[in-house]
Amino acid sequence: MMAQAGTAAKDAPQLRKSSWKRTALIWLSRYGTIVGLLLMVIFFSANAPGIFLSRANFLNILSQASLTAIIASGLTYTLVVGEFDLSIGYVASFVGLIVTGLMAYQGFPIWLSIVCALLLGAAIGALNGVLVTKVRINAVISTLGIGTMLTGIGFTYSSFPIATGIPRAFTDISLGRLVFGLPNPVIIMVVVLIALWIILNKTDIGQKMQAVGGNLEAARLSGIRVDRIKIFAFATAGFCAALTGTLLSSLLGSGTLAAADGYLLDAFAAVFLGSATLKEGEFHITGTLVGVLILAVGFNGLSIFGAPTHFQPIFKGGILVLAVGMSALARRYAASV
Amino acid sequence: MPPAASVGPWMRIRGLTKSFAGELALDHADLDIEQGKVHGLVGANGAGKSTLIRCLAGVTVADEGSVTIAGEDLQKGSPRASEKAGLAFIHQELNLIPHFNALQNMLLGAPKVTRFGIIDWQRSGVAARAAAERVGIRFPLETKVSELSVAQRWLVMISKALVGEASMIAMDEPTASLSGPESEQLFAIIRDLSAQGVAILYVSHRLEEVLQLCDRITVLRDGRIVDGAERGALNKKGLVRAIIGHDIRPPDARARFASDRNQQPTFSVRDIAWKSAVKGVSFDLYKGEVLALGGLVGAGRTELAHLVAGASRPNAGHFELDGKRLDIANEAEAVRAGIALVPEERRSQGVMLQQSVGFNINISTLKKLRAIPGLPFVSDRKARRQANSLIAQLGIKTPSVDARIGGLSGGNQQKALIARWLNAGTRLLILDEPSRGVDVGAREEIHDAIRALARSGVGILVISSDVEELTLLADRVLVMREGRVTGELTGADITEARIIELSYHDPNDEEGDIA
Repeated sequence: MMAQAGTAAKDAPQLRKSSWKRTALIWLSRYGTIVGLLLMVIFFSANAPGIFLSRANFLNILSQASLTAIIASGLTYTLVVGEFDLSIGYVASFVGLIVTGLMAYQGFPIWLSIVCALLLGAAIGALNGVLVTKVRINAVISTLGIGTMLTGIGFTYSSFPIATGIPRAFTDISLGRLVFGLPNPVIIMVVVLIALWIILNKTDIGQKMQAVGGNLEAARLSGIRVDRIKIFAFATAGFCAALTGTLLSSLLGSGTLAAADGYLLDAFAAVFLGSATLKEGEFHITGTLVGVLILAVGFNGLSIFGAPTHFQPIFKGGILVLAVGMSALARRYAASV
Repeated sequence: MPPAASVGPWMRIRGLTKSFAGELALDHADLDIEQGKVHGLVGANGAGKSTLIRCLAGVTVADEGSVTIAGEDLQKGSPRASEKAGLAFIHQELNLIPHFNALQNMLLGAPKVTRFGIIDWQRSGVAARAAAERVGIRFPLETKVSELSVAQRWLVMISKALVGEASMIAMDEPTASLSGPESEQLFAIIRDLSAQGVAILYVSHRLEEVLQLCDRITVLRDGRIVDGAERGALNKKGLVRAIIGHDIRPPDARARFASDRNQQPTFSVRDIAWKSAVKGVSFDLYKGEVLALGGLVGAGRTELAHLVAGASRPNAGHFELDGKRLDIANEAEAVRAGIALVPEERRSQGVMLQQSVGFNINISTLKKLRAIPGLPFVSDRKARRQANSLIAQLGIKTPSVDARIGGLSGGNQQKALIARWLNAGTRLLILDEPSRGVDVGAREEIHDAIRALARSGVGILVISSDVEELTLLADRVLVMREGRVTGELTGADITEARIIELSYHDPNDEEGDIA
């Protein structure tokens, strides 16, 4: 006891001196990613003013970001409730194939095909949720299992890309600019993100999701039906994946096997970049959007400067480890000084 | 140092002192331990038994004092040094690896015979098989530990200690989960080991056992060794008195609320049984009273609380709330029926640490806080208003409703957890260890809040291992022991001495009387 008291007294002046450091570190751990994003924008603008800093290019970045942002926001929900979804990329690919198939093979009208596709995605997500909560299979296993199955089922459904028999109006969905001259996917992204943000922050189901993720046992004892909440989160992730898959098919003008598989890693990278934004290690929609923009701006800048495409994964992996790692270190260091 | 092993005891503990956050857990304890003897160590919860053992094991570093073994000083705070000195420790939660077999577990950490780096289990197992023989293991050592009974696991742990050539084995509540015959078998092994020269340090709440088995008994109270005697010099009555201490506080002068037993009870428990932890418990809780469950850790109180709160389902019996029979499948249904639990583990089961004080208070009443009834949107204004009024009502000290709850003191976190249920239409509130880790001032405020709730008509069931808290807070105390209610105390009978007495002794048992 005596020894402890002695060191505490000695530490006191040091504590005062380092408190500005502490404040700075906490600030960095919260706003580091946003600062990084701004620095990237400034750097690219300064070095490629004519190309990077243009309305056309910004719209280009935003449309590229929109599909990732939608799927990543759904993923954010599962992470908020403390779970995981590895099936989203496969769900997007599968639904993207089905939605074109419904039009080309089954002759469904566009609106019905899209409604079916989105409901299918939500149902697959809900199935994931049931497997995780009711059957109690680890989320990594169950979502990976379901995702892998979907790949096979998609191949059974159509072993070659579905490109013919797709109405022109379907491809126009992603190519059109209905509002303010902004590409439709950007508008859809804004609507989805606002809706998800409101549900997460302003409704009781959102509060319950945060409670479940914050402390499962406490949430249970507070009378929250934790299984239902988790299933809802998975269903949302499935819905968002389906929306991304549908938009991708519209953009490509075809339903292609495995077309959207790559969104899985982009979504995870964005969500974890976002968890190091504004809040301390929590998952949230605003953060996810920042994460998506960092990736999109980075990819865009790399291609403007003529970097070969294989630089993209290096950039993606590197910035993810860097941002999340720096944020974790800054937080830990701030707690220790 | 001259070889002092021949004179004096094998192990000498002198002036061992340890404090946690200014609180003395162990206060200049002196103890001698001889080889070939069984030493009993008894005392109430928090008397310092665990601290003493942890110091010997090197898991806790003592502030002062020394331990010498066969004339050599034991290095402080080094589990390795303790092990090398021949000390082995078997805790209640047996540290075995479930998917390893018995032999692998016994040889964990022991040197093994290898050929080109491949373990030769046949040759490595020689010492283990000898140890297994010594303790009378009859099952094949290739059996996975997960397939063994608790009693068999104890045998594995003891064999493991013998493989490590332990000169002393400390056992913490070994019979807590053993049946009668299994306990007898363990006692026979302990006597056998003792006859072979192994020192045994036997920690138990079960005084009959200690009196029957131990050659010497040491009593700890408030971190001090208050009594020690050879076998035969102590009886149960004397032991209980030593554990409680002579300075028994006079009964609290505050008038205890005497409930009207003729009215319909708020809550009734009828013949509830669950696994081996709760063995047929029945009682009634009446309007206005604070009913408390006392007893030792492991008496079945927390399990009972979890049954009431829907966390597990009873094997037999039922509950009645306001005269209506309940059928509760899970916690959410319990909350909807009006039953809430403020759990024992505040940090892991109570608060959402990352969230704000307001979030934590409002989480169970979100429906009432909707901006427009029927639409799922939470009104920020209503949420703040409710949180602020509850913060004022309970005197929660927080910078604001938006402050993270993790930054609040334990007492204020606890108040926030109580606040969670004040507007939730709660009919029965169960509080498990409501003032654990809370300072005296906050404890007083929490007690006032609990009492006010009870008087307002909410059924209150308090569980506490803190005997002083029971005497301060309860209007009626039911004491549980080994899954049963062994006694009921009301009014002036609620004293620390009576509670402890009942915790250790079931008056319905035939043998012995200590009153």
